[in-house]
Amino acid sequence: MTDHENLETPAPAQVADWELELQKVGFVRRVLRARKWYRADWWFVVISSLMVVGFLIIAIWPQWFAPHDPLEQVGPRLLSPGELPESEVLILPEDSPFGGIADFTRDERIPVAVMLDTPSSEAARDEAERVTDEIAASGGEGRIRLQIMRFESIEETLDAVVSGEATAAVASSKTFAAAAAGYPTLRNAGGVSSEAQDTTSFILGTNQVGQDVLSRLIWGARIAIIIGFSAAIASFVLGVPLGLIAGFAGGKLDRLMTLVMDSIYAFPGLILAIAITAVLGPSIVNIIVAIAVLYIPTYYRIVRGQTLSAKEELYVEAAKSLGARSRVILGRYIFPNVIPSVAVIFSVNVADAILTGAGLSFLGLGLPLDTPDWGIDLARGQEFIRSAWWLITFPGLAVMLIVLAFTMMGEGLVEIFNPKLRDR
Amino acid sequence: MTQDAIAADRSSVATGDVLYSIRDLSVEYGTRAGEVAAVDRVSLDIRKGEILGLVGESGCGKSTLGKAMMRMISPPGRITQGELWFAGEDLMTVSEAQMREIRGARLGMVFQDPMTSLNPLSKIVDHLTETITTHEPSVSEAAARDRAEQLIGRLGLRVERIDDYPHQFSGGMRQRIMIALALALRADLVIADEPTTALDVIVEAQFLDLLRELRAEFDLTIIMITHNIGVVAEVADRVAVMYAGRMAELGSVDEVFLDTKHPYGQGLLRAVPNIELDGSDLYQMEGAPPNLLHTPSGCPFHPRCPHVMPICSEREPAFAEVTPGHRASCWLFQEHDGEGER
Amino acid sequence: MVFGVPAALALLWVFIRGSEALRRYILTRIALTLPMVLILVSVVFFVLRVMPGDVVSSTLGPKASEEVRENIIESLGLDDPLIVQYFKFLGDVVTLDLGDSFIGARRPIVDELGERLPATLELIIPAAIVALGTGLLFGTFAAVRRKRTADYGLRLYSVIVYSMPIFWLGLLLRLVFSVWLGWTPIAGRIDVVANTTLERTTNLLTVDSIISGNWSALLSVLHHMILPTLTLGLVLSGVFIRLTRINVIETLQEDYVISARARGIRERVVTYSYALKNAMIPVVTVIGLQVAILLAGAVLTETVFNWPGMGRYLIQRISARDFQAVQSTVAVFAMFVALISLAVDVIYSVLDPRVKY
Repeated sequence: MTDHENLETPAPAQVADWELELQKVGFVRRVLRARKWYRADWWFVVISSLMVVGFLIIAIWPQWFAPHDPLEQVGPRLLSPGELPESEVLILPEDSPFGGIADFTRDERIPVAVMLDTPSSEAARDEAERVTDEIAASGGEGRIRLQIMRFESIEETLDAVVSGEATAAVASSKTFAAAAAGYPTLRNAGGVSSEAQDTTSFILGTNQVGQDVLSRLIWGARIAIIIGFSAAIASFVLGVPLGLIAGFAGGKLDRLMTLVMDSIYAFPGLILAIAITAVLGPSIVNIIVAIAVLYIPTYYRIVRGQTLSAKEELYVEAAKSLGARSRVILGRYIFPNVIPSVAVIFSVNVADAILTGAGLSFLGLGLPLDTPDWGIDLARGQEFIRSAWWLITFPGLAVMLIVLAFTMMGEGLVEIFNPKLRDR
Repeated sequence: MTQDAIAADRSSVATGDVLYSIRDLSVEYGTRAGEVAAVDRVSLDIRKGEILGLVGESGCGKSTLGKAMMRMISPPGRITQGELWFAGEDLMTVSEAQMREIRGARLGMVFQDPMTSLNPLSKIVDHLTETITTHEPSVSEAAARDRAEQLIGRLGLRVERIDDYPHQFSGGMRQRIMIALALALRADLVIADEPTTALDVIVEAQFLDLLRELRAEFDLTIIMITHNIGVVAEVADRVAVMYAGRMAELGSVDEVFLDTKHPYGQGLLRAVPNIELDGSDLYQMEGAPPNLLHTPSGCPFHPRCPHVMPICSEREPAFAEVTPGHRASCWLFQEHDGEGER
Repeated sequence: MVFGVPAALALLWVFIRGSEALRRYILTRIALTLPMVLILVSVVFFVLRVMPGDVVSSTLGPKASEEVRENIIESLGLDDPLIVQYFKFLGDVVTLDLGDSFIGARRPIVDELGERLPATLELIIPAAIVALGTGLLFGTFAAVRRKRTADYGLRLYSVIVYSMPIFWLGLLLRLVFSVWLGWTPIAGRIDVVANTTLERTTNLLTVDSIISGNWSALLSVLHHMILPTLTLGLVLSGVFIRLTRINVIETLQEDYVISARARGIRERVVTYSYALKNAMIPVVTVIGLQVAILLAGAVLTETVFNWPGMGRYLIQRISARDFQAVQSTVAVFAMFVALISLAVDVIYSVLDPRVKY
């Protein structure tokens, strides 16, 4: 009857319940019941997992999502998000019978007003010639002849149309948009050129060489995922066995390895990676090698610690006394016990690797210059910080979101597997 | 709590020797599975100058009761009803700031584990002077230090060790320091929550001697919360036995130990190892303490009770006097119609 | 050469003020740090050598003539056996004779690093203060407000800040405060004008300007420090908020906190003097590891803000293919990390009376 435990919680049975149940069930049920049992924020895991899956899909099939080729010049330089590129447009009076240059097939010359020293006249002539050629090719009659009238300013040009002096005007879309308020009777009849390539806008704008920012972002996900996963897998594959061996063998080998691993662990990882990529030269494989080296100690430390404690467990002692070989003990008894705690840090590790990879390519190390990579895009975009805010905003946002997704997923998994840490 | 029991309690208040009076106190904890009544409608009077032993199994609510007396129940727990009369004031109606002034100054508490109850980063002297100057801002640092030194000396510790850190002391010494902290402002009532559990037997005996001396010297009233019947038998004047958050029995040490009324109390006493008996005679009470989420109906002890009657599972007995000053909540000593229909 | 000034000064101060036992502890601790430095420097050396890259090609580029190659190999001692190279390198590091820079005026690398290190210190020390300050303050706040809106908000903040690439935060701050609002300078450590009037002695520009009483220079230096310091500090603050929060929550449940409340100690005193002080011990221990993140972050921050510190020196030397300088800089970083971890250990022993020494 005399009890010696310090038991002041009113209902100790509740705590034990889920802990016992937890040991019996598998992964899926753990995730599903975590909320009910110990209030794990499992929406955390759901949202971040969805984000991770989204990033994975984008990384595997970027061509499905990217509207353009990330390496092609597809538009004018430094076009801001959603902005229409500047083009030469035809300006007609509201009551004009014409719809476009193609309707100008008359015998007389049509007077068209343009501004001096702009490409407008050339654009108008090119289009007129093209339409004429087209008609001739199809065996039809008629041709377009334009009479170009040049004026000093946009106001004079437009006045000429209003007064009837000219039938139409041709001007750049931006110039007309700036002056249009003063000319309610004139309308923008659309692009002069029928080659429509440069009349589309870009959701996230274009960069300094006219590449589509969005397409580069989408293809950048592939690079980020490749780097993150390869580096994390490589350090996993190297770090786990090293930790197992060191923890199991003990002695001098263990001490030496731990000293080396701790030193790498304490050293600023990025600087080590910088040094390694500097020697290896730029390539995606080298960047992966450099990052993998950094994270070997992360796995090593955890696995070694777990191995040390698992070694003391009764079933391992029993196996040893039955004469099981070290390899068997390690593989069959210790390894399976170590895996869960390593698996949950894998996700966070991927996030760290992506962040380090982005840092390396931002510094101009590790990847060939025109690769569609977020770090490189940021580095190249920072020169244009005054004129093009979108170049430095979106790639960074992408890095943050992908890192956030993997980190949150990792933390959620930790919470589900080690509920005792849930308040941490 | 039945009417006559409350009336009986009131009569003892009227005698004027009551220092602290608990009236119909309930404390509940919100758990995922529902509300748990850790303390269930408990009434108890603590007389001035006595040492009252509060005993019971782990989880019976005795520590919760101690904390509730200091109004130190923290969420998810809360006091759901009751009054706490101390020196003519109902502590339940007092503001948190006033309550803070009462804690430490007039109500002291000594905790179970002396190893963890002192701030590892503060010197002993700082613990004492901090307590003194918090409650008496007019006292200078030097005067507070003087008082601290006197106190430490009185409790049998070397005065020059006052500048040491807690980790440099043994468990028994630290428990003395905890007492010193409770006495620093001459608290009227000290609630000692399992103060000797972490001490070995010899240190425990010394500590109990010290408590008795201090009571005489400082005119102290002490509530000794413990599961150790031996400790209670040694120092206490009166004993209160708790079961499943409720009062089971209350009386003087002699009454409760020699003439135990409540079957739970009887079981508890027979389960104490005794040198005169040999091990095979040690009594094992049947069953386990109830899960407070599903407290049995009627008397909470009835599933384990060797004298169980039909009424026990149907109606709860009152905590009524059996002989003057000796109370028990058991149908064996209370009149009922036998069938327990109503 | 100004080397690890604050850490060394703090050590010295503790050494002089401390008790006999503490002094002996510090000496032992220094003796224990030496192998760590040795390991770090060796790791640097072997990682750079064992890697399957060709040092000479990456130093010279692929188009160098055979003659030039052989010259370089000889002058760097690359034709010696690896073990000989290793001990030569160790000797160089111990004597701080790191060779001459490959490019420019071919100055000794030690001198060049001596100019860069103070700049890095002037970046990371204020950043550490920002990170630690916000971490302790908001971490405690979150712990006290546990499971309430403020707590969740701060939790979200620290996760987001942790996920932010530091260079991106730097660019964003620069975009908003320097480009759009024009409140802060775009880059660098000091104005051109102020630079010409400032006499440099320690190369810690704040210290220099205070010593010489050049207040306009001090103003300019501080003005330039704001954004880089904030960038580095904010990114690290998330980690410290989380750490402080966990530890304060834990200490708030300790018996000594409950017993302090039972003595009527004010809640504010309980939180800050009991819980936070005790929580700070594990937080300080972790600072040793955070230094690695701090230095890595400094490299990126220096690049973004054109801050002439060690990190930017490293990057510049890499693009200049000056391999000797790269190796030496990394070695100096290693010694720096070891020094700080030593300092952290000593601070820890001063903070926590329970540490036996």
